[in-house]
Amino acid sequence: MNSGLICVSLFTADGAGIWIASILTLAIYSFLYKDNPIYRFSESLLIGISVGFLLVTTFDTTLLPKAFEPVGKGLSVMFGIGGFGSIISFIWLLIPVALGLLMFARFVPKYAWMSRVALALYIGFGAGASIPANMQSYILRQIDATIRPFLHIDSFWSLINAIVILAGLISTLFYFFFSKEQKGAFGKITRLGTFYLMIFFGATFGYTVMARISLLIGRLTFLLKDWLGLIS
Amino acid sequence: MSIWEKAKTLDRRIIFLFMFLGVGLPLLAKIGLPVSVTDDVRNVYNYIEKLEPGDIVLVSYDHDTGTLPEMIPMSDAILRHLFKKDIRVVGMALRAEGNGIGRQNIRRTSAEFDKTEGTDYVFLGFRPEITAAILGLGTSFEKVFPKDDRGIPVGELPLMNEVSNYNDVKLVISVTDDDTPVYWVNYANARFKVKVVAGLTAVMATTFFPFIDSGQMVGMVAGLKGAAEYEKLIKTPGRAARGMDAQSIAHLVMIGFIIIGNVAFIMRRRGK
Repeated sequence: MNSGLICVSLFTADGAGIWIASILTLAIYSFLYKDNPIYRFSESLLIGISVGFLLVTTFDTTLLPKAFEPVGKGLSVMFGIGGFGSIISFIWLLIPVALGLLMFARFVPKYAWMSRVALALYIGFGAGASIPANMQSYILRQIDATIRPFLHIDSFWSLINAIVILAGLISTLFYFFFSKEQKGAFGKITRLGTFYLMIFFGATFGYTVMARISLLIGRLTFLLKDWLGLIS
Repeated sequence: MSIWEKAKTLDRRIIFLFMFLGVGLPLLAKIGLPVSVTDDVRNVYNYIEKLEPGDIVLVSYDHDTGTLPEMIPMSDAILRHLFKKDIRVVGMALRAEGNGIGRQNIRRTSAEFDKTEGTDYVFLGFRPEITAAILGLGTSFEKVFPKDDRGIPVGELPLMNEVSNYNDVKLVISVTDDDTPVYWVNYANARFKVKVVAGLTAVMATTFFPFIDSGQMVGMVAGLKGAAEYEKLIKTPGRAARGMDAQSIAHLVMIGFIIIGNVAFIMRRRGK
């Protein structure tokens, strides 16, 4: 891949791609020095390409096989073979397509209300599917996971672990109970809850820092390895 | 102006420069700092290790290009483990950009093990609307993905003839930079009892500890650190292992600046 120089050759398909990606990476990082037109161009390019890619992928993998092709096929069957069955099948197919098209009514203020029909169905499906599922995974299974350790105490430290988790659950829940002033015994429990929350925020922030540095490592590895060939 | 006053007005670009050196130099000069393996990653490894050759695992690429540096090392490590054990892989994406990423990743990794598309692995492509797609797979893979991403009907793919729904899949691995594993837990694990593993960006890790504690997920591989741990377990050091040197030094640089900043703050207060 190397052209004899350190950098990857510009005159191959892969090489040209690496050069473009490298220059755009440097253009984005130039913002760290100060805002500039090259950075803004690169940022706009990224947004444009992302949106374009999403549109093309959605059309190619969803609209085409799930809407246009079945409707086209349904029409040809209806007018080719005919029969009552083919008409019913076609109407059955048109219902979701028509509901999808209704969403576009939002762009015409006079008919915007029509999109609410499709939205109502969508929200109804979403709520119906998610409420019992979230109840199960976020509440019932979590209560179970908090209580269950007490049934399997096999050492001193497993008991401590179970108590720490239970105390964290109760004190944090108390912290978010806003109908009572947080003072006295109740205030002490809520204060314990804030300690648990602080530990959570600290852990989350630590992980976030790690994630951001990982992204920098990824780009620098790309520049040093794939572009400059300094890492074997 | 005292040194502590100067610290207050330190140009942030100096911090960027130190961070750049803290990351760049360890990449050039390999240090080889040790990586310890956590239980969450080991659980994933052990679960896959117990699978039989020929078993089928679903890998869903649910992330965008912005988080590639974290996601690709872990996808590579997990896929290498799967292919090394002759486990068959069904790939898919619930994010549009994941479609291109997943296709490239699965084909590149499978080529290292001379695997054949259609028999040893397939890539089904992208579907929007996460809830409907995950629920739909519980009924029929073919209804959600009538064709693979090359446009070949799934009925013509030998591997897909053995997959009708989650009953035929031993494990779902969601490689993601958001909360998509919650959907897999809610709709695939809770409803269809399929085991779920998450490959996550480090940012998302704390969100998923309760799901592991409650047994709703087998384990998780979080961030570049998780990927490095997995590389260690499969004894194939890669980009993640090398990146961990840079990660550790960058953390030291950051801790150094936090200490300097706080000492400067205290000293300035004392000086007033």
